[in-house]
Amino acid sequence: MEYFKSGLKSVLGAPPPGTQITGAETVEKLVSRVSTSTLLEDRRDACRALKAMSKQYRLEVGAQGMDILRQVLELDRNDCEITGYCLDALCNITSKEVFEDENQSNMNMAVNVGEQFSEMFLKNQENVSLVLSFLDEYDFRVRWPAVKLLTSLTTCKLKEIQDIILVSPMGVSKLMDLLSDNREVIRNDALLLLINLTKSNANIQKIVAFENAFDKLLNIITEEGYTDGGIVVEDCLLLMLNLLKNNTSNINFFKEGSYIQKLAPMFILPDNLEEVGWSPQKISNFHCVLQLVRTLVSPNNPAQIITSCQKTLRDAGLLESLCNILMASGVPADILTETINTVAEVIRGNLTNQEFFANVLAPSNPPRPALVVLIMSMVNEKQPFALRCAVLYCFECFLYKNEIGQDLVVQTLLPSSTGNTTVTAGQLLCSGLFSNDSLSNWFSAVALSHCLIENPAQKEQLLRVLLATNLGAQPVTLLNQCGVFLQHTSKLQAKLGILMLLSMWMAHCPAAVKIFLNVPGAMAFLTAQTSASEFDNNEELLQGLCAFIMGLCVLFNDNTVQNYSKENLSQLIEKRVCIETYCKKLNEISRHEVYAKAAKQPQIKAKHSSELLLEFEFCKLFKVMEGLIIQALGVQRDLSNGISELSLSEHENALLLQYKELIRDQDKKLQDLQRKFNHLQKECNDLQTQVEELQQTNTQLVDQNTLLKVQLSTANTSHVTNIIHEVKSMSPESAEPYPVFIHGNNDLLLDRIKKLEADNERLEKVESELAEKTSELESYQRDQDDLLELLTAQDTKLNKFKERLRQLGALSRSDESSSDLSDNDNDRDSGPSLL
Amino acid sequence: MSYAYLFKYIIIGDTGVGKSCLLLQFTDKRFQPVHDLTIGVEFGARMITIDSKQIKLQIWDTAGQEAFRSITRSYYRGAAGALLVYDITRRETFNHLTTWLDDARQHSNSNMVIMLIGNKSDLESRREVKKEEGEAFAREHGLVFMETSAKTAANVEEAFINTAKEIYEKIQEGVFDINNEANGIKIGPQHSPTNPSLPGAGGSGGSQGSACC
Ligand SMILES: Nc1nc2c(ncn2[C@@H]2O[C@H](COP(=O)(O)OP(=O)(O)O)[C@@H](O)[C@H]2O)c(=O)[nH]1
Ligand SMILES: [Mg+2]
Repeated sequence: MEYFKSGLKSVLGAPPPGTQITGAETVEKLVSRVSTSTLLEDRRDACRALKAMSKQYRLEVGAQGMDILRQVLELDRNDCEITGYCLDALCNITSKEVFEDENQSNMNMAVNVGEQFSEMFLKNQENVSLVLSFLDEYDFRVRWPAVKLLTSLTTCKLKEIQDIILVSPMGVSKLMDLLSDNREVIRNDALLLLINLTKSNANIQKIVAFENAFDKLLNIITEEGYTDGGIVVEDCLLLMLNLLKNNTSNINFFKEGSYIQKLAPMFILPDNLEEVGWSPQKISNFHCVLQLVRTLVSPNNPAQIITSCQKTLRDAGLLESLCNILMASGVPADILTETINTVAEVIRGNLTNQEFFANVLAPSNPPRPALVVLIMSMVNEKQPFALRCAVLYCFECFLYKNEIGQDLVVQTLLPSSTGNTTVTAGQLLCSGLFSNDSLSNWFSAVALSHCLIENPAQKEQLLRVLLATNLGAQPVTLLNQCGVFLQHTSKLQAKLGILMLLSMWMAHCPAAVKIFLNVPGAMAFLTAQTSASEFDNNEELLQGLCAFIMGLCVLFNDNTVQNYSKENLSQLIEKRVCIETYCKKLNEISRHEVYAKAAKQPQIKAKHSSELLLEFEFCKLFKVMEGLIIQALGVQRDLSNGISELSLSEHENALLLQYKELIRDQDKKLQDLQRKFNHLQKECNDLQTQVEELQQTNTQLVDQNTLLKVQLSTANTSHVTNIIHEVKSMSPESAEPYPVFIHGNNDLLLDRIKKLEADNERLEKVESELAEKTSELESYQRDQDDLLELLTAQDTKLNKFKERLRQLGALSRSDESSSDLSDNDNDRDSGPSLL
Repeated sequence: MSYAYLFKYIIIGDTGVGKSCLLLQFTDKRFQPVHDLTIGVEFGARMITIDSKQIKLQIWDTAGQEAFRSITRSYYRGAAGALLVYDITRRETFNHLTTWLDDARQHSNSNMVIMLIGNKSDLESRREVKKEEGEAFAREHGLVFMETSAKTAANVEEAFINTAKEIYEKIQEGVFDINNEANGIKIGPQHSPTNPSLPGAGGSGGSQGSACC
């Protein structure tokens, strides 16, 4: 600080003794020095001083100096030193960071100053082109701060700068050239800049890839020693990740360009790894590289891309390396977990890869299939939760579209495999299914259900599985045991697991339904759950699932079990449960947030074990079956209570039709109004945000205005008196320029103020517009209310008519109940077809 | 698969002239009649043989919309070849060629090979631009010219391969600096620049023999 002050003294000359100059005044003097000095030397010194003050007095330097700094960049661009100072100063001013010694006393903390200055700087696109042009300068004093300034701008205003760079000629190309800079600092900072710039912008991602990014990055990674390298390796990988994530075009390029092969060395663990251990940086690097592989084969990608990437990954030996890591010792748990997830997606739905995986052996004694060892961990309470989830995902991916794999697992459960002493996947799952650990129950049930997906043969096969129960009693079937366990276990997670397994099993499998219907107490249990009127935490899921299974029992019933025929069960649902309650319970499932979360992606994503309730493939099944069940129940009902409009007299029928028509019309109107209402609401919201934005700009402008006024007043008090003094002492003709200078300054201010006024006017206009829209909205709302009232009136009338019809003895009960149902049912868009 | 050279191409021209279809026909040998607007740039690759050498083509399909023009510009510098496409059934796409060409010439390296393509030659009955006009334009601006149909595949192979031949010849003549990857040409992994079968690439870049992978 002392040095700095003495530096200032030498720039500005010592202040007259006894006067205390403020930061603002110093900045002001420096700015005027830069703008008036004719000597480059002087301007350079002043800029150096401005740079030095740009952290502590950021507000002052930014408000008073931004324009002049920009001007210097244009006019003195041939001098690397002064250019460097200016870029550095701008970098500090626009930084999002709040500096340690920053003078914050008179600052409105609600706004980020750096962000505001960034915005001001970006207002003029030319400014970015100007900074980009400095990347062509090789001199370290220029190129480095230019990179830093751009980075600083991206952290504050990413979208804006992305758009500008995209339309700047050679913008991205220039940045890419920086990756070849032999000065590491520049190269590394350019990496950070590119990581920011490529965030969710497909066009920049593609251009960066086109500019040989993958070659350059892989070269750097290789030079730095692959995953053993420092944070630069991580940065390179993060940039590659940005380029590939959700970018089909780039993934295609990555694959076609044989870059997958170049990743291979990173997956080979050195022999001495156990001694050296995993450094935190190595763990980070490894994580990134695993993410990279997952991005290529993510289930969200187009199927064609996934398949070809999977093939390439296998051919390049990456699948093998990944499997080796799975079985290696000393791998940190989170790396192991992520490796399992990666293997999962590399094999998912790819038969060859799945076969390869099935044949991987663990180096245990005796050697066991890796698959078995993994499942052991899944049903082991002591293993970390994330790891157990990953194993389930991997197992699911192994079975996905893999009939051979499904058969392989189910086979290990069948009685025929005699005298086999080795542990099998099937056995592990079976004991997990009925163990005391509810999480194991859930994992095992879901795993088993994946053996049955779209595979009728395995559903039949699994029916043959027999379990020995205690004390030499008769063996029972697996399905039977599921039905018994369901009633006995008290844990929700276990119940849901079993129910999901049962539903997968019973869908399209009448034989399974038959066995289930014969399980003592099973139907009573389902009925009780489905008709229960209260529920605790998440129990609505249980009740919904029970309803679902009941529905499947109706749907896939071959009428061979006495008292539980299709007809009987529909009656049961209608009489005991009541169809409305039933539909409501079924509905609870798809409306539950747990459902929405599970249905999103195949991978199980949960932070805590209690979140594991529903699962992806079950959700898919539910979605398909729900409609079929409702339909089946509806059809049944019509058959049993087959009274239709035929039994009404012609006149009554005509009347009925008339009303139907009326209701339909009103329904349509209601919907239209609703739509209009939504539209207006949206408009209203938009306007509101607009107003807020304008208000914000306004306050910003007011702030600026204040600042400018301060500047003006200082100018008026100190400067002006001085100047006037000087003017007086000078001859009239030489005094000319000074008033002009003040005048010019004033003009600038007046201009700004005028702009502010214009902005205010605009704001007012928007506000009045908003008021107008709001009143319009209100009137629509009133209209809607009126219509609703009308509808109620019509409804009453209709009911009266129905009553009359009933008195005439013609209208059936079922018609009545169906119209009641649809009345309560506005949220399901059963719309016009309600009678 | 190994290759002797890799060439980067871009396909440019107005929206709807058939750029995406040409790429798909060349890489996948199929025609997709549905028109979907290319957002940004798509990518395709294929191996061809010239002079009994394997050559890999990497092709970027650009968006033709005016609004994306500035984005397209970013691709010129790094491309060795460009297919400039118009639609023979829509005169305005032919009229816009000069703008495209100016853009390309201004932003590309001077050696980029540009092939002019009149696409949709199967739609003879709706033709608005005579073949002679295309030929004349090409002659005037020093381009190679061809009429193609992405639908019937007529001349599609030829268009891509002839462009590659032209680039290959330029390399043989030593015009292209093959050590500078920014020109859109890469030498295959096992073909080091010192390989005697290749010309010693007129040493404009001082950094010779940039230790090959
Ligand atoms: N008849 C015919 N139609 C074509 C041909 N090439 C493209 N099209 C059609 O022209 C339309 C635009 O093609 P597209 O490749 O998307 O144009 P792009 O915008 O330049 O990529 C599509 O409807 C194509 O089916 C062609 O050679 N013959
Ligand atoms: Mg297209």
